[in-house]
Amino acid sequence: MSEEEAYQTVLATLKEEGIYPYTEDEMQVVKSIERCINCGLCIQHCPVVAAVGLDRFSGPRSIAVELSRSPPEYWTTADVVYLCTGCGTCREVCPKDVDIPEIVNLIRARIFKHRPDLVPKQLHTADAIIVEHGLAFVPWEDPEEKTESRNMRLERLGLRYIPDQVVKGADVLFYPGCQAEERAQEVKESAKIILDHFKVKFTLLEEVNCCGLPATLLGDDETALELALKLKRKVKDLGVKMLVTTCAGCTSNLAHIAERDAWGIPVYHMLEYLVEEIGIAKLSSAFKQSTEEEPLRVTLHDPCHLIKHTSRITMDYAGQILSLIPDVEVTQSFAHDSCCGGGGLVSYHAGDVARAVMKENIAAIEETGATRVVTPCPLCTAQLEDNLFRQGSSVEVDDMTVFIAQRLPQEG
Amino acid sequence: MNLEADVVVIGGGMAGLVAGIRATEEGMKTVLLRKGQSATAYSSGAIDVIGYLPGGTMPLGSPVEGLQGIASMFPLHPYGLLGFTDAEPDTVSKTIVEKVRTAVSWLKATLLSSNIPLFGDIDSNLDAVTVLGTVKPTCMIQETMWPGSLMLDADSVALFAGVRGFPAFNPRMAAQVFLEHQISNRLPPRKVGHHVLDMAPFGNNYNISSIEIARYLDTEDNLSVLAKKLKKHVERIGATHIALPPVLGFNRARENQLALQDLTGAYAFELLSFPPSVPGLRLQRGLETAFVKAGGTLLVGHHAKMDSLKSNIVKEITAVGPKRNLKISTKAAVLATGKFIGGGITGTENGIRESVFDLMTVSESFRIATSTTPQKLTNTIALSHIGHPLFGSGLSIDPQFRPITGEEVHAAKNLYAAGSVLAGYNYPAEKSGLGVAIVTGYMASRNAVDYVKGVSA
Amino acid sequence: MAKYDVVVIGAGSTGTAVARDCAMRGLKTLLLERDDIASATVGTCAGMISSGLKYMDEPNIVDMCSDEVVYFKRIARHIIAKNPILTPLLEMSDLSSGGNFAEEYSKRAETRDVPPVLFLTPEDSLKIEPMLNPDLIASLYFEEYFIDPFALCMLQALDAKQHSADIKTYCEVTDILTKNGSITGVQYFNRIADKMESVKTKAIINAAGPWAHKIAALAGAKLELRLNKGAHVILDRRVVNVGVIAKAIEGRMIYLFPHENTVLLGTTALDTWEDPDTLVASQDEIEYLLKSMEWVIPSIRDARIIRTMEGVRPLVPTWKIPEGDVTRGYEVIDHEPEGVSGLVSFTGGKLVMCRHMAEAATDLVCKNLGIETECKTHNMPLPGNSDDVDIMALAKEYGVSQHTVERMRARRGSETATILELTRDHPEWKTTICTCEPVIEAELRYAIRETFPQTLNDLRRRVRLGTGPCQGTFCTFKAAAILAEELELSGEEFQLDIADFLAERWKGKRQSIRGEQIAQEELAQGIYACVGNLDQAQEELDYDLKPWEEVL
Repeated sequence: MSEEEAYQTVLATLKEEGIYPYTEDEMQVVKSIERCINCGLCIQHCPVVAAVGLDRFSGPRSIAVELSRSPPEYWTTADVVYLCTGCGTCREVCPKDVDIPEIVNLIRARIFKHRPDLVPKQLHTADAIIVEHGLAFVPWEDPEEKTESRNMRLERLGLRYIPDQVVKGADVLFYPGCQAEERAQEVKESAKIILDHFKVKFTLLEEVNCCGLPATLLGDDETALELALKLKRKVKDLGVKMLVTTCAGCTSNLAHIAERDAWGIPVYHMLEYLVEEIGIAKLSSAFKQSTEEEPLRVTLHDPCHLIKHTSRITMDYAGQILSLIPDVEVTQSFAHDSCCGGGGLVSYHAGDVARAVMKENIAAIEETGATRVVTPCPLCTAQLEDNLFRQGSSVEVDDMTVFIAQRLPQEG
Repeated sequence: MNLEADVVVIGGGMAGLVAGIRATEEGMKTVLLRKGQSATAYSSGAIDVIGYLPGGTMPLGSPVEGLQGIASMFPLHPYGLLGFTDAEPDTVSKTIVEKVRTAVSWLKATLLSSNIPLFGDIDSNLDAVTVLGTVKPTCMIQETMWPGSLMLDADSVALFAGVRGFPAFNPRMAAQVFLEHQISNRLPPRKVGHHVLDMAPFGNNYNISSIEIARYLDTEDNLSVLAKKLKKHVERIGATHIALPPVLGFNRARENQLALQDLTGAYAFELLSFPPSVPGLRLQRGLETAFVKAGGTLLVGHHAKMDSLKSNIVKEITAVGPKRNLKISTKAAVLATGKFIGGGITGTENGIRESVFDLMTVSESFRIATSTTPQKLTNTIALSHIGHPLFGSGLSIDPQFRPITGEEVHAAKNLYAAGSVLAGYNYPAEKSGLGVAIVTGYMASRNAVDYVKGVSA
Repeated sequence: MAKYDVVVIGAGSTGTAVARDCAMRGLKTLLLERDDIASATVGTCAGMISSGLKYMDEPNIVDMCSDEVVYFKRIARHIIAKNPILTPLLEMSDLSSGGNFAEEYSKRAETRDVPPVLFLTPEDSLKIEPMLNPDLIASLYFEEYFIDPFALCMLQALDAKQHSADIKTYCEVTDILTKNGSITGVQYFNRIADKMESVKTKAIINAAGPWAHKIAALAGAKLELRLNKGAHVILDRRVVNVGVIAKAIEGRMIYLFPHENTVLLGTTALDTWEDPDTLVASQDEIEYLLKSMEWVIPSIRDARIIRTMEGVRPLVPTWKIPEGDVTRGYEVIDHEPEGVSGLVSFTGGKLVMCRHMAEAATDLVCKNLGIETECKTHNMPLPGNSDDVDIMALAKEYGVSQHTVERMRARRGSETATILELTRDHPEWKTTICTCEPVIEAELRYAIRETFPQTLNDLRRRVRLGTGPCQGTFCTFKAAAILAEELELSGEEFQLDIADFLAERWKGKRQSIRGEQIAQEELAQGIYACVGNLDQAQEELDYDLKPWEEVL
């Protein structure tokens, strides 16, 4: 038998036995499971377990201790592993730093590659969109309609229009993320307003492509890698000093990719950029006098991708910024740092679970008596809007970037 | 991003949070880093101060008695160190008891203002009942866990009530174990019953977790349904007390306990259970709330990274978050990183190490352990009143609660240590875990604050 | 007094196989076991039913092993898994001695449904197993089969029972009765009933493994054994994708084999005269295994060791040669020539041969009894070996997670559906009790009702309770309550059962305690001592010190 034939024979046995070797990066992630001591603290804090019960979602402990010990059986986890919202609360409370969100991604990647029949149909549909368009949403076919939609939003929110610009050698690349680019355009516009106000030399991308997080979350690692490398090329091409984004998921994902693929530039969420690069001093003098008759009572929602995947400090920044805005009163909700249920692509195929996770947030928000909830994440914004509406609540939702832009002085 | 602090506390369990709250109360700008939750968060919700003397088999009637024993026989025990003052030798015992009383009373008051009332004090140990039906001595328990007159009143009758599909508590075996134990000690009750309740928060009566039940019972309507079911069985056996697993409610446990008494006529109480238990979570949350309310800065999800100690002083600590690091400059630091569970101490085949500063470690009997194979610090018997010296290993400290080096000198003049990262005591055997954490956290913090005030003066 | 045609002593792989064969041939059979099924040597092996490649100097044995593998696949396919194995070579001298190994193995490969020995390039080897030392120059590849040793013994015993044999565990033989040079009966202490009992018989088959010489001595017969101990280190998950074989420090071959959802690193071979009940893996053995495997799997020390185990091989007594040169064949010794008629003993043998050994001994006994019989053990399937199990369908039908059903299938084959059916009347039995494996309450109750465990430790052998990373930290007290309910134990017995099980787990954990396992143990102490106060309760209860605990 030739060497090649020998290898093929071996592969055939491995396939029959369901043995798919871990690669080296997978091994690094899998190693963190070794530390699990089965204490169950993660289950006490998991928002999905709290929302639907331990039987429906056996929880992070089960994923760590039970599900990943025997690779040939990974596919049996398909009835559970897609219900994780990827919030990272488990990892944050784990005394042993077990990296459960990454393990979930790893298992989903294996299922996607070797048992695509077990991936929820809706995720295949989502994947098809990403593969075809390089974006998480189907983009506008007609650029004029896109512009019209944008203008309507600008008018409704009282925002001015700053033209798009693509220049080489700028300091900052503003990356809107798929949602702000194709759907919630007001977020992209607000970011430009903010950057323009502080006279930042910024550029946009000629063509936006998804940062790849949704692809990773549904297990299509190949496409995620392609998108990451594509983005890197564009970034290098523009020669910027840093990247700023208004999307929480993009922040944590790009921070990861930028390090992994050696981009050589830092990645900031707009909040971090404002506090760390612009600075509190400049910010405090920027906010105009309020036009509200009464103080505006708001409450904050902390996106998991910021607090648990990036740093808790980011939402301290949010509080600091809001405290500089006159006539804005912030009341903290008891569930401010509790997952909104919008993550992990759970809402795509198990809407009831996603909505159940949000129940506690809604109750907490109502309890604050706030009229608006502000959050720096497009996914959280959409999830909150949807659920508050269903509840018949009058609380309105603002993306924080928009909230800030609306309160900057309108120039000329 | 940089922060400035007077005192940095590394570790967010009982010891760290006590140290942090005290430092903040004394006017220090305090930053506390915690990476995950701690052994405190898993605890049963009972606060042990000391239940047995080291290696002892007689349950101590009171922590005071135990402290007096420690004063005379175990001077290097963390409690014993409290007696190392300039005062007269014959006041050592009194000094230790006073210091422990101060710290424990302070904690009781602090938790009360976080809405966690505790029952008990150091003048007497209480007998608490566990989910196994065994009895253990402890100093303070959350009010809902006090068994009342169950073991005092000759006519008491206990109903052990579990939940179908909740495997962490088997009422039948617990009732049996408890009754056998009480009868052999000629104590009440002389009659017990058991029952399994049907309570399915999500409709399934299997795979139910404690947190699910607790949240479910936080809703008043659900509690009255429960009360009705219990009442039938209370009347059936003439129960005066109802023993429940600690799932009476996350926020409303106490209200629910009182409501059950009204609705069933019997005194309901929560048993001590195994990790992760709801009362433990309450404790963790109550302490964190107190810290933040006092004005402390809590950095969740961050662990501390240090280059090895240079020049005998800690000036800056890096706090590592998921994707961002912070540098914190500080005037003093308190290390309360826990033992093996918390990760403050680790053991490989090459020895026992301290994980943040790589300080010298010792075994329970204070022999240097940095190159000792962990197996050598264990006994052949898995569960015994002597325990395993491995779980008494950790840092050796001076009377100011500063970790010391091999040369018996403090590792840094402004570095203090508290809690289970310390060596010289065996909490599983002694039943002294949270007590040592509270007292050493209190003392280490006081010394850290004095240092900062002295330096700034 | 009860009368039997044959009494079998020892319920390991050989003893249970003998009881099965005797019972199937119509002999009135009693199987006596001092502890529990598979509680000694067979419980400490890796489970490989090897093709005999180690015995290439004994071609008859190689042929026999190959045949036995085929029989096992026929009668017990539900408890057999294929294990692909790589032997990475860092130098050509790493090949085990003798070039005809490959030839011998490959000769009968087709009958066993495996490819012949293959050579793989270093690149391909690393693709299959990325954890290999990147400096390897080539590797050999071959496939072996693995059987669950506990399940094998239990199923053989159950099959014997189904053919009217009596199985008595916790019965320790105290005397063998003879008259005029012939066996007349057996006396034993029934530890469950707490009394001495005896039975009449004319034939005894001594399958007591490392205690065979002591049993023979009870009848006044002489039996020599060469006792040799071996250690295994168990890692918490499948850290390698395939089995790996490496050349150890002094030239022996050692292995790293996936086993259920753990990985076994073994084994050593040291002659021993110690009481087998007191043996634990030594620090030297643990280090020997790690260091030897480190050459081919450089990151082996990063893996989490959850426990160790130590077993004793009852080798055929050939002396003044290294252990590796002792035959792996077996001997069936008829003690009639030395004046004890009716007693037959075994020495030597490997797991793969147990059916063959049983056949030989049963043939002999039948001949001595003057009965004409036919052996059918190679053809009749063991219980549970019937249809394929559709995991997804069962999971959906009973509302149990897919992974739970898959793991149950791996342990119980076609009994899976029967067990799940119990949840119709008792939905609460869908509750997971052991979260490491996982094992649900239905399986525990089924095992308790059908397979006669007396203790948690016995239950562990049947359902893998407490064999995962947490080593019983969380399942012990839950399972103990279920067992206590089913067996109607007192509160004291319930607590002692917990203490005994924790002691048994500690026996293996202690020797290798390091890294994450220390944190795990601190948690266990926190639960059972700090909260449960069982360390103090033990003082009040009648706790028996175990043989390995009585070390000063």
